[in-house]
Amino acid sequence: MCMAEINIGEHWFWWVLLVACLVWYSTVTVYVAIRGALDIKHMLARLAAMQEQER
Amino acid sequence: MTHFSWPIDGTIVGLYLLATMIAGIMVRKYVGKVEHFLVAGREMNIYLGIASLAATEFGIVTCMYTAQNAYKYGFAGAIPGLTNVVAMFLVGYTGFGVKPLRDAGVMTIPELYERRYGKFVRWLSGVVIVLGGLLNMGVFLRMGGQFLVVCCGLNLKYLEVTMTVLLIAVAFYTILGGMLSVLVTDYLQFVVMSVGLIAVTVLVLVKTGWTNAVFTVDTHYGAGGFNPFVNPDLGWQFVLSNTFTSLAAVLTWQPVIARVLAAKDSATGRKIYTRTSFFFIARWMLPGLWAIGALAAATVTPEKLAEIARSMGEKDGTIFAMPYFLGLILPSGLMGILVAAMLAADMSTDSSYMLTWGSVIYNDVLGPFRRRRLSERAGILWNRFIVAGIGLFLLFWGLWYKLEGDLWAYLQLTGTIYLAAMSILLIACCYWRGANNWGAIAAIIVGAALPVLGLALDKLVPLPVLDAAGQAVFKDGIAQTIGWKAKYIGDAWLNIGTYAATAAAMVIGSLLKSALGRHDAAHRALA
Repeated sequence: MCMAEINIGEHWFWWVLLVACLVWYSTVTVYVAIRGALDIKHMLARLAAMQEQER
Repeated sequence: MTHFSWPIDGTIVGLYLLATMIAGIMVRKYVGKVEHFLVAGREMNIYLGIASLAATEFGIVTCMYTAQNAYKYGFAGAIPGLTNVVAMFLVGYTGFGVKPLRDAGVMTIPELYERRYGKFVRWLSGVVIVLGGLLNMGVFLRMGGQFLVVCCGLNLKYLEVTMTVLLIAVAFYTILGGMLSVLVTDYLQFVVMSVGLIAVTVLVLVKTGWTNAVFTVDTHYGAGGFNPFVNPDLGWQFVLSNTFTSLAAVLTWQPVIARVLAAKDSATGRKIYTRTSFFFIARWMLPGLWAIGALAAATVTPEKLAEIARSMGEKDGTIFAMPYFLGLILPSGLMGILVAAMLAADMSTDSSYMLTWGSVIYNDVLGPFRRRRLSERAGILWNRFIVAGIGLFLLFWGLWYKLEGDLWAYLQLTGTIYLAAMSILLIACCYWRGANNWGAIAAIIVGAALPVLGLALDKLVPLPVLDAAGQAVFKDGIAQTIGWKAKYIGDAWLNIGTYAATAAAMVIGSLLKSALGRHDAAHRALA
């Protein structure tokens, strides 16, 4: 069998899954990077405030 | 010959390591209580949770076993990723098991079990969680070192040094900052890791080509390379076994559930699950494609892989196909990004795993022996010692233990030592009024005994590998062997059997206690 005989469309499921993974990763990474940084900032601020209160 | 260049790639990796260490150490000043050290004061919000969970559940070891599965079984080898997505999304969406767990306000799963099954079950749960978790994690360090050696073309004599340096760096910031350091470094590691994963996947896709990838899988494995149900090495038992493992891991795998327990509330924990779920197929698909690229490459020959395996003292060369292939195709610069990404992946996993197994040792294994409550300061100190102790164990286990077969099969089996019992205990604890400590104890013993027996049979009862004519197979003058369990039972059946037997033990044990209790009560009433 040669490459020309392969029916790529038959295996659409894995192609869609791969593209979905790449798209998901590219978009989610940027979004999570921005929102995650804010989460860290708020988390540390709350912990610092709690430490202040306990003193 | 790899393209790793010390001036370019070494600088990228060095900068990444420096940034991680600084971030990890900086947050140590916020650790004032044991709760801060173990669950970050329960102040984690959704997006940090997503970054942390995604980074924790993707290490070099993940990359190695997902790639090995794809190299050996084609696209069908990525099925565990699909079962994982479905399990995590459904559990997050419905709150099944995780909502009552988070609402209980506990720091570890065994703590919840004490409320329902008593102190002894809490202690026993802690013991099997630590046993399964540490055996599972024992191979991480060696895999990480082997990946770096093969991919970067480092001299093999640096394997142990690489492993030790990696571990010391991770242990250093984890010991100082606990979960806070883990979360902040996980965030950095998630970003670096994602950039590396995307860049390498695009390059592999361009170099190999999708048509060629499909053709390669079809040539090697036929329809079984795309459909696990028709693959003679996988079959429906593989899918069922992975469905059980995925559901149990989502419910009770301590490093995963630690994100739910560290979340602000159960709603946040559930959102972290639903929004991270798709990542669990990405972690199988992307390294899987790299491995299929290796399968398609003429330069990655079975002989070369066998030679690498021999030099590493391992039996199976397929695990090295992906790192060897990447070492050949990645240009300098991208190589640095990949190594930084893989170090990021590995460090986030190691730090998180050390902390979470440590939390169970402190809270549930040693906790019952403490006669008086420790001060916060003493508690943090204890936790730091425990994390350091786990680091030492990893170093020695990683140097000593040699894999017998598939990496994923090993991880699944060692995970099952506790996953089977803990998931059944959790479900029964939350949803079955009839569950009691007899059932719980029986389930824990059965759930741990069967996988340990399987591992022991493989190690202690090697059988000769025979060819079609019934003659012993030799490789390099050495007779090839296969473990008893691998030959007569298989990993998937042992896994399925363990879940079934554990559930049966839970039901029978609980009903037996109830029945005897009723019998005793009737006897006392008559007397």
